[in-house]
Amino acid sequence: MQITFKVYRKDPEKDGKPGRSNYSVELDEEATVLDGLLKIRDEMDDTLAFRASCARGYCGECTMRVNYKACFACTAKVSAFTKKSPEILLDPLRNIPVIKDLVFDWDAFMWNKITAVKPWLEPDESSTNGENLLPDSTMADLRKVMSCYYCGLCDEGCTVLPVDFDFLGPAALTKAYRFVFDPRDKAGRERLKIAEKPKGIWDCVHCFEASEHCPRGIAPTERIISIRDKAFKVGITNEKVARHHTSFAASVKESGWLDEGRLALESEGLTNIKGLMKLLPTAARAMARGKAPIPYLHPKRPGAEQIKKIFEKGEREKK
Amino acid sequence: MKYAFYPGCVSRGGCPELYPSAVKVSAKLGIELEEMKDVACTGAGVLPQDISDPINARTFAKAEQLGLPIMTICSTCQGVMAQANYRLTSEPEYRAKINREYLADEGLEYKGTTEVKHLLWILFEDYGLDRLKSQIQRPLKGLRVSPFYGCFLRRPPEAITPTKELSRRKNYLDELIEILGAELADISGKGKCCGFPILSANEENSLAMAAKHTGEAKEKGADCMVTPCPLCHLNLDGNQPRAEAQEGKEIGLPILHLPQFLGLALGFEPGEMSLKRHIVSTQTVESKVSMLA
Repeated sequence: MQITFKVYRKDPEKDGKPGRSNYSVELDEEATVLDGLLKIRDEMDDTLAFRASCARGYCGECTMRVNYKACFACTAKVSAFTKKSPEILLDPLRNIPVIKDLVFDWDAFMWNKITAVKPWLEPDESSTNGENLLPDSTMADLRKVMSCYYCGLCDEGCTVLPVDFDFLGPAALTKAYRFVFDPRDKAGRERLKIAEKPKGIWDCVHCFEASEHCPRGIAPTERIISIRDKAFKVGITNEKVARHHTSFAASVKESGWLDEGRLALESEGLTNIKGLMKLLPTAARAMARGKAPIPYLHPKRPGAEQIKKIFEKGEREKK
Repeated sequence: MKYAFYPGCVSRGGCPELYPSAVKVSAKLGIELEEMKDVACTGAGVLPQDISDPINARTFAKAEQLGLPIMTICSTCQGVMAQANYRLTSEPEYRAKINREYLADEGLEYKGTTEVKHLLWILFEDYGLDRLKSQIQRPLKGLRVSPFYGCFLRRPPEAITPTKELSRRKNYLDELIEILGAELADISGKGKCCGFPILSANEENSLAMAAKHTGEAKEKGADCMVTPCPLCHLNLDGNQPRAEAQEGKEIGLPILHLPQFLGLALGFEPGEMSLKRHIVSTQTVESKVSMLA
C-alpha cells in the first residue's frame, strides 16, 4: 500500500523553524511506522532524524506521536492509522524541546528529573552481612515498578506538564516510589522530603492520565498517591500542603464532612495575613451571590461520632 | 427508580446551587431519592486510603441496608467511591478486614453489593435515553456547549470503565449535550484536570489549567460549559476571574452544573436552577434560553 508520511521537521542548523516534509512510501500490510521511517531514511532522505533501537516495543526509544496519538513507532502498525486516509502525521511528543525533527530532549524531559529523585539505593549496611535479600512477596511490587522502560508515555499523558514543564512528572516520581518503598533503603524521610519539594508529589493532580498511558501497567498515578499517603502518615513536610491536609482531616474527623470555609482559611494559615487578604476578593464575590461557606459554623453530621472512631482507629494503625 | 442519594459536601457548601437543582431535576424525571444523612465525606482524594476506604465502606454498607444503589452528583465523590468500591469488591479479604476492624463495632457489614453511580451514568444506563427524550420540554437549540467531565468520571479504567460497553461513559456528556438539542463545542481538554486539586499546593498551575480549558471553549465559540463535578465548577467558575487576571485574558465563560443544564431542557426557568448564584454571569445562556419556547 502507498502511504504518505507527513513528518515534523526542524533543523537548528538551518533556520530552526518547524515545518513538515512529505514522503510517499510503498509498504506492505504488516509494516510498522518505524519500517516506514527506516525506508525513508535509507532510500529517500538521509537528513531525517529520529530515534529507534530495539524495534520490538521494549526500549521506549522511538516514542513519538502518530496522528497525534503518542505511541511507539516500532509497534504501531501503519494499517491501524490509515483506515480513513492514506496519510500519516508524525510528530515528536508534546511540550518538549525538539533537538532535530523527531528527536527531542530526553534529558530535559525526563532524565534530569529522574536524577533529581536520587535514583539509587542507600542500603542500611549495619543490618546486613554482605547481602540483604528481600522475600519475593516484598520484591514483587517493586519489581513491577522496576519494569518501567522509560518510554516517556506517562509524562506525555500528564495533565500538569503542559502548564509547567518543571513538574517532576510521573516517570520520575514513580522512580521515587521504587526507593521510598524499598525496606532496605535507609534514606527514608530524606527521600520523602525530596519527593515533597515544590514541583514534586503535591503538584500532581492525580488525574490517572499517567496510569492510562503506561504501556506496562505500572500505574504511576497510584504510585504517586501511595507516596502522598505515606507522607501524610509520617508528617507532611511541605508546609502549605500540611496545613491543607491537616485542616481537611480535622473537619471530617470532627463533623463527618468538609468545612470548606475553614479549609480555605486554614490552608493559607490563620496568622498569614497576606495569604488571608488574598482570599478576600474571591470571598466577596461568593458572598455577593449568597454562597460563601461560613467557616466554623459547621453542624455535625448524624453518625459523626462513628466517623471519628474510624478516624482514630486509622490513625492508630499508621503508628 | 429509587436511589440512596449522596449529595457530597460541595453541593451544599461552595456550590449551594447544585443540591436543589439536582433534587428538582430528579423529582421531575421521576427518580426517587432517599438522602443519606449519616455518612461522611469520601475523603476526596485528600485523606489517605487507609482512612477513606473504611469511611466509604461504611457508606456502602448503609446503602446496602437500604437495598438501594447510590446516586452521586459529583465526579470526585463518584471517582473516590468507585475506586474504594473496586478494591472492596475485588479483594474479599480486604473487605473482610475492614468489616472486622472498622464496621463491626457499629454492627455493620459491607457485603460488596452496592452500586455507585453518578446521575450522568444513571441517565444513560438506568433511566434510558428514550424516556429522557420524552421528557424534554425545551430543546436547547442554538446553545453551543462544551463538555467538561472531571478526571474521576473517566479514569482509572478498572473502576470507571471496566468493560468495553462501559467505555462509552467517556462520551456520555458529549452525547447528552446533543440529545438535549444543544450544539457540541468539543474541546481537547474535556477529560483533563480542571486544576482544583492543586489550588492549595500550586495556585499558579491550578489557575493556568482553569484558564486553558475555559479559554479553549471560548475559542470554539461555546456559550457555556457543562460539568458533572462541583469541584471543577469551583475552579472553572469560582476562580475564573483570578485565572483571567493571571493569564491576562478575558474569558467570561458561564459554567453550568449538569443538573442545571438538564433542568433547562426539562422546562425549568434559569431562576429555578439558581443560575444567579454563579460567579461568572450566565446572562448569555439565560437570554438564549428565554428565546426558546
